[in-house]
Amino acid sequence: MKDTVKIDEGGGGQASADLIKEIRDILNIKNKWTNCNDDAAIFNTGKEKIVFTTDSYIVDPIFFPGGDIGKIAISGTINDLSVMGAKPIGIALSIVLEDGFPKDNLKKIMHSINKVSQEAKVPIVTGDTKVTDKGKLDKIVITTSGVGLVQNIISNNGAQPGDFIISSGDLGEHTIALLAKRFNYQTKIKSDSHAFNFELAQVGKYLKACKDPTRGGLAANIIEIADKSKVKIILDEKTLPYKKETTAISNLLGLDVFSLASEGRFIAAVNPKNVNKVLTILKKFNKEAKVIGHTEIGKDVFLKTALDTLRPIKMPKGKLIPRIC
Amino acid sequence: MNNHQNIINKIKALSKKIDKPVNLMEVCGTHTQAISRYGIRQLMPANINLITGPGCPVCVTDQSDIDNLVNLSLAGIPIATYGDTIKVPGDFGSLEDAQQKGAKVFAVYSIEEALELQKDYPDLVFFGLGFETTAPMTAYAIQNGLTVYSAHKLFLPAMTHLLQNRLTNIEGFINPGHVSVIVGADAYKNIKAPQVITGFEAEDVLVGIYLLLKQIHENRQDVENEYTRAVTKFGNTKAYELILKVFEPSAGLWRGLGNIPNSGLAIRKKYQHQDAKVKYQNILSKIKHTYKKNAACKCGHIIQGALKPQQCPMFNKVCTPDKPFGPCMVSSEGACNVEYQNI
Repeated sequence: MKDTVKIDEGGGGQASADLIKEIRDILNIKNKWTNCNDDAAIFNTGKEKIVFTTDSYIVDPIFFPGGDIGKIAISGTINDLSVMGAKPIGIALSIVLEDGFPKDNLKKIMHSINKVSQEAKVPIVTGDTKVTDKGKLDKIVITTSGVGLVQNIISNNGAQPGDFIISSGDLGEHTIALLAKRFNYQTKIKSDSHAFNFELAQVGKYLKACKDPTRGGLAANIIEIADKSKVKIILDEKTLPYKKETTAISNLLGLDVFSLASEGRFIAAVNPKNVNKVLTILKKFNKEAKVIGHTEIGKDVFLKTALDTLRPIKMPKGKLIPRIC
Repeated sequence: MNNHQNIINKIKALSKKIDKPVNLMEVCGTHTQAISRYGIRQLMPANINLITGPGCPVCVTDQSDIDNLVNLSLAGIPIATYGDTIKVPGDFGSLEDAQQKGAKVFAVYSIEEALELQKDYPDLVFFGLGFETTAPMTAYAIQNGLTVYSAHKLFLPAMTHLLQNRLTNIEGFINPGHVSVIVGADAYKNIKAPQVITGFEAEDVLVGIYLLLKQIHENRQDVENEYTRAVTKFGNTKAYELILKVFEPSAGLWRGLGNIPNSGLAIRKKYQHQDAKVKYQNILSKIKHTYKKNAACKCGHIIQGALKPQQCPMFNKVCTPDKPFGPCMVSSEGACNVEYQNI
C-alpha cells in the first residue's frame, strides 16, 4: 500500500517523533543555530542569543471552557520561548480560514489573541491571512511564530541525578476540558491554557531542564527530559499533579492521564537546595505547584505506585483513543 | 499503605497454606490494566499466577467480523465504530487501511456520535461490539433508527466455556466489574468456580485475590461481591431489559474460543431492516474467510490464558502497538498491549 501520513503521526507520541525524524533527515538542519530539536532554536549573534520557534494549531472544538484556539495559539508560542529561558519579544500570526467561517467567531478569536498578547506583554508584529474553499480545511488553522531573547538557556538536557522534578500546577486539564465539552460532561475543569512567561521568568535561573507538557502529555515530555539528560526519573503516585476530576474523566474514557495535554503548565528539574524557593514563587501563581518526582542515576521513567511497586512510564502511542469496556 | 501491606501479608500466608500453583483469571480489560498499573504481579507469591482472560471486547471479536466490516466499507458503506477497533488487521487489512483507500470509516467515542453521523450518512453502519456494558447503548441507538452490525456478546457463557474446555486450569475468577454492574452478582451463581466481583483500585484487586485464595483454601465455590459500591444483587435491570428488547441471545463467535451457544447478541426480527447482517447479506455472503494472513498471531490462545504475551514468538519483535498483528496488541485493554507497556 502507498505510504501515507497517518493520524497517529500527529499525536505527539512515538509515531510523531518518527515522522519528525523522517522530515529532518531530508531537511539540511546543519547550520549555525543550536537547540534545533528543542522547543525553540537559538542563534548566537555574538552580542545576543535570539530564540525562534513556530507552531500550528488545529483544535476541535475551537471554543472550549477556559479558552479557544486563539488563546492556545499565542500562549503556546510564548510558552515555547519561555521554557528555553527566553523573554518573548514578538509574535507572527498566520491564519488560514475556511470559506463560510463566521466573522463573529473570527473576531472572538482575535480578541482572545489580543488579550493574551496584552497581558503577557508580547506584541503581534506581523502576520498573514488566507481563505480556502469550503471543505478544504476544518474551519481554521492558526500558525504562530515567535522570537525571544535569552541570556541563560534552559535546555531539556540539564537534569542531573539527585534533582527534584516539579510541576507548575495540575496537569491534563486542557485535554479534559475539550473532551468534556465534546461529550457534554458536567465538570468544573477548564483548560489550563495561558501564557506563563512571567511565572517562568521568576524561577528560570533555578531550572536545570524544562518542558511544557502539551501534546504527548507528562509522559512524552518527562521521557524527553530523562532521555536527553541521561537520568532515571521516578514519579510518585502519591503526589501526581492531577485533580481527582481529571483522573476520573480520564478513567471513564479509558485514557492514560499521563498522555493528557496541558497548555499552560511546565515541568522542570530543580536542584533540591532551590526547590523551596522555586515552589514559594510558583505557588503565588498556582497553589498546586509541587514536587512530583526525583531523578536518579540510570535511564527511563518510572512511577512508584501506591503499592510501592515500580511501573515504567512509556511514550504514548498515536492518537488518544477511549476504551470500550 | 498499611492496609495494603496487611492484605499482601494475608495473601502470602494463605498461598503458603495452599502450597500448590493457583491460576486466578481476570476477565475484564480494566482489571488487566489495573493489575499492571499497580504492579500487582510483582507482589504475588511464586505459586499465585494472575492470568488474563477474554475481557477485552476488541480482542474477542472474531476476525470474520473484522473482515466483514472491512469489505462493507470498501463496498462504499460508511462504517462507525469504537476507537481501536479500526486498527485490528484481518485478511483484507484493517478498517484503518480501508479508510486510507478512501472508505468512509469513523472512529467514534460514543453512540451519540454515531447517531449524529447518521444524519450526514444515512447508510451508516455502526459496528457494535462489547459485552453487557456497551450493548444497552447500541440497543438504544437501534431503537432510534441506527443500522448496526452486531458483534455484541454476553460474557457469562464464556466463563462457563473456559471452565469446560480446560485449555487452562482456572482456580478462580476475578469477575468483571463493569459487566457485573449490569448483570448483578446473582447472575454468576451457576458458574462452578470461586469468584469475586471487585472494583478497580489497588485495594479492590488485592482484596479480591485474598478472598479467592480464602475460598480455594476452604474449598468453597461462591460468588463474593467486594464491589458493593457499584454492583448490586440484581444489577441494572433496566439496561438488561433494554438489551433483550432489541437483541436475542444467539450463537456467538469468539476469537480463539470459537462458537459459544447463547453468547452472541443478534438483532431481533422486529429491527431486521436495521440489521446490517440482513441488509447486506448479498455482500457478506460472498466474503471468503481464510484466517490465513495472521495465522501466526496467538491472540486466540492469549485471551484464554493458555499463553502469556511474552510466549508469543511475535511479541515485541514484529508485533508492537505501532504495527500490531492481532487485537491483543491493538487494544489498550489487550493483554499484549498492557504487557508491552511494562517491559
